[in-house]
Order: sequence, then structure tokens, then C-alpha cells
Amino acid sequence: MSVRARPISPHLQIYRWTITMAMSIFHRATAIANYFGMALLAIWLLAAALGQEPLNAVNFVYGSWFGQLVLFGFTWSLVHHMLGGLRHWVWDFAVMMEPGQREAMAWATIAGSVVFTLLIWTVFVWVG
Amino acid sequence: MHNDHLTPQAIANPKAHYGDAKASTRHFITQRVTGLVNVLFLGLLLFVVVRLAGQDRTDMVAVIGNPVIGVPLAVLIAIAAIHMRNGMRDVLEDYLAGAMYRLVMLLNTLFCLIVALAGAGAVLKIVFWG
Repeated sequence: MSVRARPISPHLQIYRWTITMAMSIFHRATAIANYFGMALLAIWLLAAALGQEPLNAVNFVYGSWFGQLVLFGFTWSLVHHMLGGLRHWVWDFAVMMEPGQREAMAWATIAGSVVFTLLIWTVFVWVG
Repeated sequence: MHNDHLTPQAIANPKAHYGDAKASTRHFITQRVTGLVNVLFLGLLLFVVVRLAGQDRTDMVAVIGNPVIGVPLAVLIAIAAIHMRNGMRDVLEDYLAGAMYRLVMLLNTLFCLIVALAGAGAVLKIVFWG
């Protein structure tokens, strides 16, 4: 008698992706990015507190193309996580959970985060 | 709270009580309240970064050194650090257990403490001593 492997519970790769599932994963991913991104803020503030020399070094790194790329990503990550968190606040009142509603809110999260981020960088960095 | 001894039988039994009800509720409410406060933090952060990105120390001291901006900024950084530690705990509980969980949770606490002390400390240094 041949021995078949035990069935195991289905995991991510078995499911068709849905927008609510994607936004749930994005919420955690942006949380982790923000967690480490906060070190960038602390380093900048610490450099400013220490003196002009360290601040110059930080400004040089943050102002480089790679630094700007990271800060753009950090901006989106913060905005996305904020909108995702506000979505959880709405859900905490047991509303907007029905099919259609939750998908609409999930799409609003991703669309809103992209629009807000582009708006912030357009108004304050690229044009300002 | 983390359960090292949680059995599948306990999970399957709807009458079983496991986990720390009070600590878990506190964890949840803390996370929601600090999260809402973080909306203010992002607003102030946006103002400070837009105003000061790439600027010299004198400009940073002029803006952050103003207690009306500096003191709330320091407080909001500390609150954000609480939210960070709380949230990372959720992630760690999902993927780690036992000694490894406790070790990484310790690193989590240290990281958040350093971010809070360095960030808020730097701001308060600028506010009170320039």
C-alpha cells in the first residue's frame, strides 16, 4: 500500500488573490517598512541635534537619488498604512463589511495611498 | 500574550479560555488609539519634513526649537514607538514561538526604545538647548 502525504491546510498560494487579501498583506508589509523607516527620522533628528557636520552627512545621503527613492517609498508606505488603519477603525464599528463594501474600501485604500503620495511629492518636492 | 503550551485541542474547544483577556484587550485598544494619534503625527511630520528637508541646523533649530512644534513632535514620536512595538508584537506572535519569540520580542522592545529615545530626545535637546 502506497503512503500518501497528509493533506495540509491551504496557504496563500492556493487562493485566488482578492483585493481585501492583498490590502491585508500590504497593511502588514507597510507596517514593517514604517517600523524600520522610523529609524531614518530618528537619525535625521539626532544628526540635527548633534551638529551641522553630521546633519550635512545625513542630508547628503537622504538627498541622493537613492535616498529620495527610499523616502518616496516611505511616504507611500506611511500613507497606505494610515488609510489601512482608518479602514480598521471603520470596521471596528461593524460597518462596511458586506461584499462590495469591503472591496470598495480596499480599492479606496490603494488608490488613495497612490494619489496622496503623488500629490504630496508633486506639490512639495517636484514643484514646490 | 504568547502561549507556549497552547494545544490544538484547546483551540478546537469553544469553551476553552486561553490567552490573557485583559492584556489582549488593552493591546487592541492601545493599538487603535495610538494609531489614530499617529494621523496627527503624520500631519506634523509632513509639515516638519516639507519645511526642513535638506535645510541647515539653524533652520531646524528655528522650527523644531519652537516648543509649540518641538514638544508635540517629541510626544508623538514616543506614541508612534508604542504603536510600533505593539504592532510588531502581532507579527512576531504569528511567526515565532518559545525562546525565539522572546528573544526577538526583546530586540523589538530595544529597537522601539532606541527610536523613541533618539528621536524624542533629539527633538527635546533642540527645544531646550538649541
